[in-house]
Amino acid sequence: MTPGAVLLEAQHVTQRFRLPNGQVLEALRDVSLAVHENEVVALVGPSGCGKSTLLRLFAGLAHPDEGAVLYRGQRLDGVLGAAAMVFQSFALLPWLTVADNVAMGLEARGVDGAARRDAVARAINLVGLDGFEQAYPKELSGGMKQRVGFARALAVAPEILLMDEPFGALDPLTAENLRSQVVDLWRDPATGVKTLVVVTHSVEEAVFLAGRIVVFGSNPGHVREQLENPLPYPRLERSPDFEAMVDRLHAILTATLLPEPAPAAPQRLVPFPRVHVSEVTGLLDHLLTRPDGKGPVFELAEDLGVDYDRMSAVVRGAEQLGWVITPGEIVQLTQGGRDVMAMDDAARKDATRARLSKQPLFARLLAMLREEGAVEDEEVLADLTIYFPFIPVQSLFDTIIEWGRYAELLDHDADAGRLSLLGWEGAAEMRAE
Amino acid sequence: MKLPRFPPALRPPGFRRLGLADVAILCLLGGVIATVVAFAHEFEAPFAQAVRIDLRFSALPRYTLYSLSRGVSALLISYLFALGFGWAAVKSRAAERLLLPLLDILQSIPVLGFLPGLVLGLVSLFPTRNVGLELAAILMIFTAQAWNLALSFYGSLKSLPVQLRDACQVAGWRPSRTFWDLEVPAAAQGLVWNGMLSMAGGWFFLMVNEAFRLGNRDYRLPGIGSYMSVALDRGDVPAMALAILAMIAMIVCVDQLLWRPLVVWVEKFRLDESGGGGPVPSSWVLEFLRRARLPRRVALFQQRVFRRARRAARPLERPFRAVGPVILRAPRRAFRDAIARKIGAGLAAVAIAAVALLGAWRLWLLIGQLGWADWGHLLASAALTFSRVMGAVVLSTAWALPAGVVIGRSPRLARALQPVIQVVASFPAPMLFPLVILLFERIGIGLGFGAVVLMVLAGQWYILFNVISAVAAIPQQLKDATAAFRLPRLARWRFLYLPAAFPALVTGWVTAAGGAWNGSIVAEYIEAGGTLRTTRGLGSLISEATTHANFPLLAGGIALMSLIVVGWNRIVWRSMMEWARARFGLVQ
Repeated sequence: MTPGAVLLEAQHVTQRFRLPNGQVLEALRDVSLAVHENEVVALVGPSGCGKSTLLRLFAGLAHPDEGAVLYRGQRLDGVLGAAAMVFQSFALLPWLTVADNVAMGLEARGVDGAARRDAVARAINLVGLDGFEQAYPKELSGGMKQRVGFARALAVAPEILLMDEPFGALDPLTAENLRSQVVDLWRDPATGVKTLVVVTHSVEEAVFLAGRIVVFGSNPGHVREQLENPLPYPRLERSPDFEAMVDRLHAILTATLLPEPAPAAPQRLVPFPRVHVSEVTGLLDHLLTRPDGKGPVFELAEDLGVDYDRMSAVVRGAEQLGWVITPGEIVQLTQGGRDVMAMDDAARKDATRARLSKQPLFARLLAMLREEGAVEDEEVLADLTIYFPFIPVQSLFDTIIEWGRYAELLDHDADAGRLSLLGWEGAAEMRAE
Repeated sequence: MKLPRFPPALRPPGFRRLGLADVAILCLLGGVIATVVAFAHEFEAPFAQAVRIDLRFSALPRYTLYSLSRGVSALLISYLFALGFGWAAVKSRAAERLLLPLLDILQSIPVLGFLPGLVLGLVSLFPTRNVGLELAAILMIFTAQAWNLALSFYGSLKSLPVQLRDACQVAGWRPSRTFWDLEVPAAAQGLVWNGMLSMAGGWFFLMVNEAFRLGNRDYRLPGIGSYMSVALDRGDVPAMALAILAMIAMIVCVDQLLWRPLVVWVEKFRLDESGGGGPVPSSWVLEFLRRARLPRRVALFQQRVFRRARRAARPLERPFRAVGPVILRAPRRAFRDAIARKIGAGLAAVAIAAVALLGAWRLWLLIGQLGWADWGHLLASAALTFSRVMGAVVLSTAWALPAGVVIGRSPRLARALQPVIQVVASFPAPMLFPLVILLFERIGIGLGFGAVVLMVLAGQWYILFNVISAVAAIPQQLKDATAAFRLPRLARWRFLYLPAAFPALVTGWVTAAGGAWNGSIVAEYIEAGGTLRTTRGLGSLISEATTHANFPLLAGGIALMSLIVVGWNRIVWRSMMEWARARFGLVQ
């Protein structure tokens, strides 16, 4: 099938959220994207890049703060009737049977009586759930539940099927099985579904499903690159063409996730990635076991069993401490990294302390503490919000405290909500109060 | 191979197939109808002051059913209120900002003080019939039931997963459909459990609601509360015992026939599927009813009737559908328009402010009549009652905390005692007050200290319940750890049970103190055996002002008590609760 006319279009869409602490996050900034008839579009990118937000905008579940979403040239006003949606957490009503859940969307579309029963039976048959009509969701496994989710979406014979990480909550085997069924459903004219938009975390999944892959960047979310995927269906995951495509997408994502540091402005404040001490040492440990102490970031993610944006955060953390360098998508252990892994615990803490003191964000915080002795959490959080408006600052703050404590630099009094230098004389007095 | 599936065979209707369960249902239905008719009759009865209460045993079942009808009517109104309140607070941010603090205050102030105003107003609305007085009683019970239901529904709506909402929206469900098929079922568990608590709370002021004096007028409604109060007046000990027995019987019956089945039934509406850890509750009544065929048949019949009705209404549907949007167009457009919306919101805000100002002005006029001496009196009394409340909290904690830990630690004990405690806790403590006081007089304890014990009776259960559930929820691994490291008994209490129970203990304190404040109104001013006993305090001041129809003093007393309770909740309890959660919360 070849892509046809434009079906759905986002025009210069900007979407903001207000966090409970009052901070305003920009989930999407000036995003424009068109989805055509008969195509499968995959949206990929690190978490928090607004790809799910864009999907909700397409569904008409939210409305953009700026810009517009058009369906066949008409501005979308309310929920898009031509679309159906599949959710990561299945979103089935536990008190309705499978058949009732599948029938959810039919009533509002005026399908009644025998026609409704037929539509339900057909949808259930399409996903292979015959015999489970009267079961309750809690009696089904995760894969079966998601089949119900697909049946519910297919029952209304939607023009567009929107999927928000539909296989994210399933085990790998079930996910693979369901994935190829989705391709079959799309290619089967009986379903009537011509267009798919899928948000996914998995590179292989995107290459397997999509004819066009849209890569998002974060902080704030924006479209970074679009990649055409001309491989013929059905796609074979072991074929060289497939793997070449996966590598290309990996390379693009790596450039998105691990941008080459800007050479100028060395004192620019960069947020410290929100990773744990143990994760960074775990990465270094793993690199030591590899020949030459290096490897591509995606291979590392696979070996260590974490998803790629988590892995890249850990790599960035190690990079800021000078323990790895990242030429291209390769992660390379440095001599400093090797040294630190050879040390005992106390020496490692000393080395971390030396490195952290030079990290611009920590350096700034330490200067502030030296001057004032102790600082209220609130004050630090407020400063962080100003520097990094697009990051949830509470978790950044928690990361700073964890690293500061590990490196024996900082002391945090959780009861009083106060941050100070470790060994600062005032701390004991204030605690005694 | 796919097996052919047949629909369950339907048998032709006929009474031969009906079983024992169906007979029971029919009997119950008949009883309910008879009660409703009798109650409606009572509603319509000509208004008479000081209805004669028949103290014979044979009259007691009728009185019990009357009181039950009031409680159930109030509960129905409370449910309606809760649904409306929760829905409004979730859908509109402005409503949320206004309603939540209002509810917070309403649930912590002693509503009993509003009884006189309510009664006078409603009785003057229906001067010849009993309706006014009945409505006042029902509304008073409502004020003890509604708030926690509303908060529970609001909380359930707030914690509803976004994806479920999205799914309903994508399916094109109308808001009304989403409400009944998603929001209410998701909140069902909380609504039923809180309904149970509400029902128990509603009985607290039963005696006062059904029989009280205002100035020289004596208002009385036939019911178990008035029965008890007349029995007390006459010093008729057998009648008192009968009233207490009837109350217990009613509570047990309601628990077994209504709440147990409901609790089991709403298990179906559990959102988290994993939560099967606890023992599965069971109900013999529900088991029994599930065997009945009548409900299924009624459902079939109802479906058929609905289908017929829809078919019959179809010709009318089209003009209605055509007219509806036209009528609604203007409001809908106005609602979308930002300026119109702002104007509307402004008007609503002005109206609310006007009502609030008017209320404040009236209150000010009333309170303005109080002199300095009155205020001194009020403040001194408040200090006395305050210390009694705190004393009651301390005393309750002294027994309920260790008892709660012991019960909560053993699942077997908790399972065995839970129904018993539930019934005992539902029993309205004020009904026991006069008996306890008579007993105290024998031993020579005055009401000054006796009132503290009465307030313990009013508040202790909240502490016990909270501690039991907190201790029962301690993860087994933590208990195993203390056992594996061979912590001595004292250390186990110190490092595990008490810290784990502490956040729940604070929550218990808040409600127990609230109960004690409420209780002070009836505990410091008691008529038993024809003599009046009072002790100085804010509660007795309020009761006295009511009996003597001294409205300025009543208003001042209520305002002062509300202020103390709300202020203490806001400043002391809340910060203590936050600290306890941060420090001892088990969920990290």
